[in-house]
Amino acid sequence: MQIRDYIIRRLMVLPLLVVGVSIIVFALTRIGGSPIGIYLSHEMSQEEVAELEERFHLDDPVPVQYFYWASGVLRGDLGWSGVAAAPVTDVFLPKLAATMELAVSSAIVAVVLGIALGTFAGARRNRLPDHLTRVFSISGAAMPLFWFAILLLIVFWVYLGWFPIGRSDPDLWARIDHPTNLYTVDSLIAGDFGAFRDAVWHLTLPAVTLGYGATAIIARMMRSSLVEELQEDYVDAARAKGLPERLVLRRHARRNALIPTVTVIGLSFGFLLQGSVVAEIIFQWPGLGRWMADSVLRGDQATIMAYVLFTSVLFLVVNLAVDVAYAYLDRRVVLGE
Amino acid sequence: MNRSPRRGRWGAFLGIFLALAMIAAACSDGEGDDSTTTAGTPGTTAGTPDTTAGSSDTTAPPTTQAPSGGEVNNPGVFVHAADDEPTTLDPAQVEPGEGGETMILQVYERLLEIGTSGPEPVPSLATEVPTVENGLISADGLTYTFPIRQGVTFHDGSPLTADDVLFSWERVMTMDLPDGAASVLSDVVDSMQVVDDSTFEVTLQEPNAAFLNAVVPAMVSSIVSREAVEANGGVVAGEPNEFMSGSMVGTGPYSFVAWNRNENLQFEVYDGYWGTPANLDLRVEIGANPDIRVLGLRAGDYDTIETDPSFIGDIEGAEGVTIFAEGLTVEPIHIGFNLRIPVDQLPADDNIPADFFLDPRVRQAFNYAFDYDAFLRGALGGFGDFNPHYIPIGIFGYDPAAPVYNQQDLAKAEELFRAAGLWDTGFSVSVVTEEANLFETAALVLKDSIDDLGNPNMTVTVAAVAEAVFDEAHATDPVPYAMWVKNADPFADPHAYVDSYTHPDGEWGEIHGFRQGYVDPDGIADLIDRAKVELDPVARAALYAELQPLLYDDPLWIIAAQEGVVSARRDWVQGFVSNPLWPRPSLKFALMDKG
Amino acid sequence: MRRVGELIGALLKNPTTVAGLTFIILLLGMAILAPLLTEPNTPDAYQMPRDWGAIAVPPGSPGHILGTTNVGGDVLYGVIWGARTSLRLSVIVVSLTVVVGVTVGSIAGFRGGRIDEILMRIVDVFLSIPELIFALAIAAVLGPSFRNIILALAVVFWVKYARIMRAQIIHVKENEYVDAARVIGDSPWRIYLKDVLPNSITPVVVQATLDMGNIVLVGATLSFIGLSEAGIAEWGVLVSEGQAGISAGRWWASTFPGLMVFLWALGFNLFGDGLRDILDPRTESSR
Repeated sequence: MQIRDYIIRRLMVLPLLVVGVSIIVFALTRIGGSPIGIYLSHEMSQEEVAELEERFHLDDPVPVQYFYWASGVLRGDLGWSGVAAAPVTDVFLPKLAATMELAVSSAIVAVVLGIALGTFAGARRNRLPDHLTRVFSISGAAMPLFWFAILLLIVFWVYLGWFPIGRSDPDLWARIDHPTNLYTVDSLIAGDFGAFRDAVWHLTLPAVTLGYGATAIIARMMRSSLVEELQEDYVDAARAKGLPERLVLRRHARRNALIPTVTVIGLSFGFLLQGSVVAEIIFQWPGLGRWMADSVLRGDQATIMAYVLFTSVLFLVVNLAVDVAYAYLDRRVVLGE
Repeated sequence: MNRSPRRGRWGAFLGIFLALAMIAAACSDGEGDDSTTTAGTPGTTAGTPDTTAGSSDTTAPPTTQAPSGGEVNNPGVFVHAADDEPTTLDPAQVEPGEGGETMILQVYERLLEIGTSGPEPVPSLATEVPTVENGLISADGLTYTFPIRQGVTFHDGSPLTADDVLFSWERVMTMDLPDGAASVLSDVVDSMQVVDDSTFEVTLQEPNAAFLNAVVPAMVSSIVSREAVEANGGVVAGEPNEFMSGSMVGTGPYSFVAWNRNENLQFEVYDGYWGTPANLDLRVEIGANPDIRVLGLRAGDYDTIETDPSFIGDIEGAEGVTIFAEGLTVEPIHIGFNLRIPVDQLPADDNIPADFFLDPRVRQAFNYAFDYDAFLRGALGGFGDFNPHYIPIGIFGYDPAAPVYNQQDLAKAEELFRAAGLWDTGFSVSVVTEEANLFETAALVLKDSIDDLGNPNMTVTVAAVAEAVFDEAHATDPVPYAMWVKNADPFADPHAYVDSYTHPDGEWGEIHGFRQGYVDPDGIADLIDRAKVELDPVARAALYAELQPLLYDDPLWIIAAQEGVVSARRDWVQGFVSNPLWPRPSLKFALMDKG
Repeated sequence: MRRVGELIGALLKNPTTVAGLTFIILLLGMAILAPLLTEPNTPDAYQMPRDWGAIAVPPGSPGHILGTTNVGGDVLYGVIWGARTSLRLSVIVVSLTVVVGVTVGSIAGFRGGRIDEILMRIVDVFLSIPELIFALAIAAVLGPSFRNIILALAVVFWVKYARIMRAQIIHVKENEYVDAARVIGDSPWRIYLKDVLPNSITPVVVQATLDMGNIVLVGATLSFIGLSEAGIAEWGVLVSEGQAGISAGRWWASTFPGLMVFLWALGFNLFGDGLRDILDPRTESSR
């Protein structure tokens, strides 16, 4: 009952937050250059430009402009991307799929590695392995991704030739249909093992690189909650029963320590989303991040704004999902603040 | 405690350390490789750069690291890594020097083309180069007749006729787009006529020495398919055609397949090509990041990349890579002085008045202050040469005796700045440039040069922006910066240079307001106009020889250098040819093969 | 004083914290002593000096101990003055954001009610946008320059402090000594300064330590993407300029500055992490 109320409350706040983000985004479009900029395409004539000014009420006070802009956004009109030379909404989905494929793979890397490292360190608190793990995982968070990724690229692409850059071999990509635009999924749907291998092959290096950066958040959380769990009475009780340490760890402490760790997965997802901007530039990954980076340099406001709006909504939703999951997992949690 | 399940994690540690060790190892063996560098003499006064091997051997030792284990990477497709994305693929809309020209060169054809070597036009869609001797140029030098090649089909299957030629040229002039180069045709052509399906005739407004080598082979004069245009929006005056800016239907060896924005452009061998067909399909990767281009070439995933002399250090000695460095581009790198400065649009820190560059002494002072040696020997690694005002080496009319700024002279610069009254008041001026390329380097040299004067009141700020942002500023009238760096567009004829870059009523003359700055604008204009219609080469050269000292005394540009031609490719690329008169990267991919 | 002594003792017991502290001391020392370590470039010391006669020379070359970049920039100068640039960046941003964040958080927490509600909703909105992406968008709108990077980071980073401060104040306010002060008749301002602030500030200090590192990391990332200005002695800019050279054996121009970003961020993160373990054993996620 409480959980349901909690979810409903969070769901009610969500639209307010989205509106808040949209106001910030809108404010940014008005700070930088001409407000009409986001709707202009290279091909438009004077009349069409005038028509746009009319449609978005650019002569009216700013709050009125916001209203017309926001209603445009709700109808799916996010403006014209100069970089993609198309309406933002037309290119968004395939690029989103590319980014999500990368982000989710990285998240898997981060979660698996983070939990493993956290468990490993927590069980050896304040001993050498703990310290080394701490350095290793914090190094991930402190590593300038733009630098680290290039180093990996030089070793694994240029010298060893083990991994390629980009997202796909164009021939293999063209060989199958793309109903979801997730290459791995599409290749499985098509039953094309060659394409699937190609997808995984292209995904590995960027996913590991990006995932390593997010590992620290999860590993640190896992470690400290495990340390806490190991001090609980039930652990002592289990030990007293003569259960081997390994089983104590695996059956009891780790399982419980996972629960608070879930909360930071949302946080690390935000980390992955922003990391994807850099990773996509370097690994030539055709996703939202690379599009955003190009747009930033080329002053493509429509794309920048759409990207900020979208990642924020995604970030909010993921965090909501995580909190809800947490609430279900741990009934002891006091809901709310 | 049972440790065995933990071993995997230590393995991860080990892996990372191994990776770092490998980087170290990889870094240390970069220098000793015996790859091939082909280098001719990059310039006449620059001497042989000390960074080249100086060998002319083009066969390199077989590559040992091809990742796939096969002979070549990406068999069946030629992969080129370009720097920036085209803004349009429409010959009527493309700005000279812009990335779209490279694509237009591969897919469209012109009546005449610049051949694989030298500046002379060779037959293409016209079967003969008109001359007075073969009767295709009228005695008064005004009417040119082009016999049109028969049996040529466009990529959409429609046959080429003289009508398509007329349509293509008329289309450009009707659309007359602001970014495009319609004036290349409209300034010259008086009337056009389809005599029959295989004969096209054009009459000029006045005799023009540059018509055959600078107008007919220009990208704007490409022949497009009438059928394709009319089926997709037709021709509207003053408005771009959406279909044509994103797609191409030409007659060339490559047909257009797809343009994945922000990723790549794909082309296919056109089976119905009238001439020697292309060997491989073509993919042009768009990677704004120059580092990835260099790495991709080394990894073997790119066969050729967009390069300039500053890349040589990054590529030299790489296994499986050949550097071609021979001759000079005909695109001098220049820094423009804006004489119509929109003061209220300048960056916030600029404090110069609108008439800052009107005084020739100020422009001379900048020319004396610039550290030419730093740019040519340092940034270009010696791949290039100094260039007088304003005809490039290798173009008719270049005068080795013309005076040239090629030596930093700080005393002279200080004297001129003092004379112009700027030494004590000082100035702060921004120079805008594309980021991360040679132009930015030239801007940095300018900044350092002014710093060399040791006067803290005088500063130059480098505003490095994305190429698209620069292009927009560059195409604005007036330009919202006081100074900018770029290179000249390549032309086969001197008139195009002096007209665009020095004529008081030429393209830049109008945008920058040269007329207000020249001591004798009419004298300069008169020389340029006379040289344009002078068909006798000796007399024409004399006119240009008379012009250049005037431009030296009254400079409207700092000409940093004329850059050397540098191109890097995989060893497996065969049939490599490059002509600096072709739009950058000066390659026709259809001529090349791999294996 | 005893508390401080204990704190230091506890910090020094943890080898990783000590390692972090060592990095911090070395890097800050380098930043502060920069004008003594290398002769400042004129007219602007934060701009790279370039030696056009020594393009991309390797470490150990005369006059260029760590070599030069592909435009002749002295890598050692970039490393040292890059530290100063980073110090300038992080100190400006952290002090601005701490002041704003603590003020907003204090008002919200101390006053409560309507104001709290409004302020916290604003904070929630700001927290909904991932940091780097928000900063990227702001810097993009303002145009490429180092000043704008500072501005963008300041706009983004204050919210965490507001959130942390508010939670702390609400927690501290419940304490008996605050009630006691109220009973005595101390003014709210006095209560705040004397009792509430000193008892709430610890997590802010931890977060500020972590941010000293993170801000340099994010700032370098923005520079790398291309939002800084040309020729500045900044690590992210140097890394991006020198990258292609690594595979050509010219590893120094990119490696050293990249390493500095890493050590800077690592130092503050290790130290901050150790600090958090001690001051705040029930590790708190910053959400």
